This record gives sequence, structure tokens and C-alpha cells, in this order.
Amino acid sequence: MTYAIEAQQLVKHYTGRGGDVEAVRGVDLHVREGEVFGFLGPNGAGKSTTVRMLTTLMTITSGSARVAGVDVTADPEAARLRIGVALQEAGLDIRQSGRELVILQGRLYGLSPAQAAERANDLLKLVDLDGDADRRIKGYSGGMKRRLDLASALVHRPDVLFLDEPTTGLDPASRLTVWDELRRINDQGTTVFLTTQYLEEADQLCERLAIIDAGLIVAEGTPSELKADLRQRRGLTQEPTLDDVFLEATGRTRERAAGEVQEVHA
Amino acid sequence: MNKYVVLIQRSIREALRTPEALFPTIFIPLFFLVVNVGQAAEIFPSTSTPFLAGQNYAAFQLPSALLLAASFGTAALYLVEDIEGGYFDKLRAAPIPRTAIVFGRLAAEALKSAAIAIVMVLIALPFGIRIASGPLGFVLLILLTATWAVVFSGFMQLIALKTRSAAATNSAGLIFFPLLFLTPNFVPRPLLTRPMEIAATYNPVTYIMEGMRSLVLHDLEWPAIGRGFAVVAGAGALMVLFSVRSIRRYD
Ligand SMILES: Nc1ncnc2c1ncn2[C@@H]1O[C@H](COP(=O)(O)OP(=O)(O)OP(=O)(O)O)[C@@H](O)[C@H]1O
Ligand SMILES: [Mg+2]
Repeated sequence: MTYAIEAQQLVKHYTGRGGDVEAVRGVDLHVREGEVFGFLGPNGAGKSTTVRMLTTLMTITSGSARVAGVDVTADPEAARLRIGVALQEAGLDIRQSGRELVILQGRLYGLSPAQAAERANDLLKLVDLDGDADRRIKGYSGGMKRRLDLASALVHRPDVLFLDEPTTGLDPASRLTVWDELRRINDQGTTVFLTTQYLEEADQLCERLAIIDAGLIVAEGTPSELKADLRQRRGLTQEPTLDDVFLEATGRTRERAAGEVQEVHA
Repeated sequence: MNKYVVLIQRSIREALRTPEALFPTIFIPLFFLVVNVGQAAEIFPSTSTPFLAGQNYAAFQLPSALLLAASFGTAALYLVEDIEGGYFDKLRAAPIPRTAIVFGRLAAEALKSAAIAIVMVLIALPFGIRIASGPLGFVLLILLTATWAVVFSGFMQLIALKTRSAAATNSAGLIFFPLLFLTPNFVPRPLLTRPMEIAATYNPVTYIMEGMRSLVLHDLEWPAIGRGFAVVAGAGALMVLFSVRSIRRYD
């Protein structure tokens, strides 16, 4: 079995002004080719850190990772050719227009000027930005920026696409558009590694998912496996939701989560 | 190579789209030129001041203005904006040599600085300033200015990569005060007071200024020109070395 993403005992230890943090403490991942894989976890669990290590943007403290068959530490440039990534904070150059940005991105991945322009046209249409393509990004709304970021991650038809919370901040219609788009990209064979805070999104899109908490993977499987497992262990009469799975895996029950909410008096 | 070209184009586009950042790099040095000449030209009439080689005092001051124009380090501030805005990560995730991200900006800086230097010299010509070393001298003058701009911006970019902070990078840019003023700025080195002369002798920028000045005031004087370019080359080699290391280690 060849995996699109294969990580062994990934560890990231931050040192420096941001504090000494063991953000990721030994994560194993096996994402199959052609899969949409969900990576869930509470804030600060280590999702973005893992994505940054897998996409060659950050050194790996220990452990190893292969993406699309390439060792990301040994041959980062080859890995980058096969990876597309949209990080949690959309990285855009606000002085360019949306079209210029996507064309530039295409050129960096080796497309000719004509190819890049054509690809930009298609992608901007796809994310519904063709009407605003020639405006400077400075004037885009938050959701428009996210969609542009997604488009720019797709220019080179990557084998593996990493999306760190791609639908955070999108309106419901745009979210559905992105879901459709992800399904379409996935149908064409692209493996998608997706982090999200929306469990419904994970339920809808992901064939398999992993839940990370405090730098360790605490649950892994298909959404239905995870639900069935919880139902069995708890002896529940009703099918639990993915929310229940998430809360249980991260050590927070609904009752506890509710109990922690305290009223604030002025 | 094509990838370098698109990165350079982008940096130039960015500069042109921020005229508010571009214009001061021309007008502030011209302002200093006018003010300095206005204050000191009476003391140094061209007829009785040997070090002016027959030209007026503005010709003597032109190199300082060119150096000032080349020492704003705007490239580094754009780099910090890229880092802070996350675009830098997008570029780092692309299959291009990471050094291209840093050196692409510097190549654009070279072109931009050369253009600014040409404009400044053209503005100076109607005021009676002549480039005594002729057309080749003019080219060398522009080249020396542009390469210094690259070296200075390169060091500023290092600060940007290290601190990832606009405030820190901006403050580091103030280093141009000692670099540009501990020089034979108003009179040639032998006429400086002893402590200033010592300071100027140790300041590498002095030799760039003297090289430029010889190009403006005299015929091609290779030793002075050579010292100027040697300083830029030496500092440039260090800058390239540190930059490569810094971008490779960026995490
Ligand atoms: N540059 C840094 N320096 C120090 N610590 C960091 C740095 N970046 C992240 N961390 C820490 O690493 C841990 C994991 O952060 P990470 O951003 O990976 O979490 P996340 O799962 O993506 O969270 P979120 O859902 O909020 O995006 C957190 O405790 C965070 O404080
Ligand atoms: Mg995150």
C-alpha cells in the first residue's frame, strides 16, 4: 500500500520567544491516495503545526514524513512540486490583483505565461471570483481572500492538497461551494488533508479522520466507525454524533463542556 | 531563471504601486542636497577651493545624496510585510530555491536604485554639476550606487528574517545615520578633525563615497573607484553568505 501521506512519530518542539512548547508529541499518520482525510482537534492541539511540518514549511524536531512518496526533509523541493497548501491564515500579497497573484503562483510552478493566465481564469471562475479578479486583493473581504488562497493552492494540480481550516469565516453558500469543489478535486484523484473545526464538514467530506489533542492522536477511523465505537463503549441507545465522538476523545463530555460555561457579571 | 524574473517583476510592481514609499527616496536626498549646499556653498567657492576641482559645491555633495537614496532599505520592509501577512510562507511552499525569494527582491532593488540614481543625476545636471569622468564614469557611478543599495537592503533583509518585525527592521535602518555621517561628508578626509578622520577611515562607506566623488569630480581614477567597488563587493559577499544561511534556517 502506498500512502499519500505517511508520518512516523512526528514531533515538534518550539523554543524561542513564543515559549517552549511541545506542540506535537509523536504523531503517526497514514493517509491513503485519493482520500479526503480530516484532522480535527481543539484549539492549540497541534493541527497547524502538523500541517506546516508536512508541507516543508517547518523543520521536524524528530520523526519523519513522506508526502506523495517524497521525504519532506530529504527532498523538500520535490515534495513542494506535489503539494498544494492553503494555510490557516491566507497568505496573500494585497498589492496584487487576484488574477496577478494566481498567475504568479502558476509561473512559480513552471507554467508558461499563457498557461498560467488560462489556469488563473479557470480557477478564479471556480471560486467565484472572476468578477473581482482584477481588483487589488487589499479590497477583498475575508471570505474572498480565503477562496483566492484556495484557488492559488490548486494552480499546479497538486497530488496532495493540505487545507488548514479552509471554510472558517465563509458564509454558508461559499462553504457549500468549497465543499463541492473539494469533492470535485478529490474525484480527479487529489488526496485532501483537511483540518476543520466544523464536525459536520468532517462528517460530510471525510472518508477517514483523526482527532488530535495536546499533540497526540486520540482517535482515528471513518466517521461511522468512530460513532459506532462510541455507541458500543457507552452502551448508547441512539447513534451518537461526531460532536459526541470529538468531545469524548478530547476528554470533554457535553455535561462538562456545559458546566465550564460560567456567567460573567458586569 | 524564469522564476527569478516573475519575482523581480512582482517586486517592481509592488514598488510602483506604492508611490508613497518611492517618492521620499528621491526627494529626501535631494532635500538634503539643497540644504547642505545652501548652508556651506559660500564657504567653498569653486574658484578658491582646490578639492572641488573647478566644480561647485553641489557636485561635491551629490555622492552623499546618492548614497542616502540608496540607504533606505525599503526592500526589507516589503519583506517584513510578506512575512507578517503570510505571503512569505506561500512563496516558501513553492518549488523555487528559497534564496530566490530573498535575492529576487534584491535584484529588483538594484533596478529600482539604478533608476532613482539616474533620475537624481539628471535633476542635478541643470544645476551645473558635471560627471567629469565621462559616460563610462556615469555608468560606474550608477552601478556603485545600485550595488550599495543592494548590499544595504540585503543586510536589512537579514534583520527582517531574524526579527520578523516591521518595527525592528525599521529601527535597524537608522544605522544609515552613523554610516553616512561618519564620512568625509562635508570636506575631504584630510580636512576633518582628527577623531572624525579616524572614524571615517574605519567606516567602509567612506570609500564608497570617495569612489563616487572621484567619478563626479575627476577623470577615471581607478584606485579610488576600485576601493569603492571593493568595499561593496566585500560587504556584498558577507551579506550573501548570511542571507543564504538565514533563509535556509528559517523555520
Ligand atoms: N511559533 C510558535 N512558538 C511557540 N509555540 C507555538 C508556536 N506556534 C504554535 N505554538 C504552540 O503550539 C501548540 C499547537 O499550535 P497549533 O497552531 O498547531 O494548534 P492548532 O491545532 O492549529 O490550533 P487552532 O485550532 O487554534 O488553529 C499551541 O500550544 C501553540 O501555543
Ligand atoms: Mg491551527
